[in-house]
Amino acid sequence: MKIKKTTFYFALTLMLIAVAGFFLLANQSKNTQDSGAIGNNNGNPQEVVLSMKNYNYYPNTITVKANQPVSISLDESVRGCYRGLVIRDFGISKYLKTPQDTIVFTPTKKGTFRFSCSMGMGTGTLIVK
Amino acid sequence: MSFKKFVKELGNSKVEGDLVKTIFISLLTSFAILAFLYFLRLSDIENFIPKYGFYLFFSILAYALIIPSVKHVRTYREFACMSGMMIGMTIGMIAGFLPGFFIASTNGMFIGSIFGMSTGIFFGAWNGKCCGIMGTMEGMMAGFMGGLMGAMTSVMMFNNNLKAAGVLVFLISGAILLGLNYMIYHETRESEAKNYDDAFFAVFWSILLTSITIFIMVAGPRSILFQ
Repeated sequence: MKIKKTTFYFALTLMLIAVAGFFLLANQSKNTQDSGAIGNNNGNPQEVVLSMKNYNYYPNTITVKANQPVSISLDESVRGCYRGLVIRDFGISKYLKTPQDTIVFTPTKKGTFRFSCSMGMGTGTLIVK
Repeated sequence: MSFKKFVKELGNSKVEGDLVKTIFISLLTSFAILAFLYFLRLSDIENFIPKYGFYLFFSILAYALIIPSVKHVRTYREFACMSGMMIGMTIGMIAGFLPGFFIASTNGMFIGSIFGMSTGIFFGAWNGKCCGIMGTMEGMMAGFMGGLMGAMTSVMMFNNNLKAAGVLVFLISGAILLGLNYMIYHETRESEAKNYDDAFFAVFWSILLTSITIFIMVAGPRSILFQ
């Protein structure tokens, strides 16, 4: 049976995609970061209130202690997509509708992490010591 | 002149039959250059595959769709204004949107939109010129818009199923390019092919685009979110 040239190339193309896909798509990074012990309030939480200045969070560098609960809220100057706060490394993404809404979590690892609004427009740094 | 006939022509005529072959050559070249660079240098980068593998894979697939479409247009060279503008717009938009989207997914909006706009404007204008200045302008505008939009979309989806969105965007762009190739086939049945680019065309552009993409993803500037 004679195989058409195009069928041959088509089959080779699919095989190439399958093989390359196997190598490139395997071992994708999984979001296995510990989300922190949200709601674990042993001891007083470290309170952080963020506001808005120059189209970004203010202060946009927060320093907190590891293994102690942190409570983050946004005051009324923070508007729009900036009210959706995301800290990817701790698996946190929450829309804080009012200044009374808070994100409470316990950073369990030390280091420097980024936080941002839900659209990635406003950014800041969380330093866990 | 149905779509069915077009699919049949993919296995028969010289020009349309070349499309699948060009896709294959482009993929083979791009994956070969990636494998070469990986064993040469990239394997030393920590978490290279988990970090960049997905976006590189889809960037390479995107180039394997864009390059044959560009080649298809170059085969006939001249089109009526309306078709030429559609060609410039479609190629400019897709060649801007997809690279912009995938680069911005790893490096942020600035470099994503710069690269997306560059490829979009270049390919859009180059292909749009098949009908003169109108197509060239249309291609440039679409490339400009597509590059910015692709990068912006990816950054906005960063915290919300970016990879799933990447697959969807790629599939939709693929369907649009398939439509474009059908339109070119439909518009040129009475015309003679004026230019045959050989396999070197696909090899050259695949190496160039894939190498630049890898370089930018690994060593290019990053926005603050990606540092």
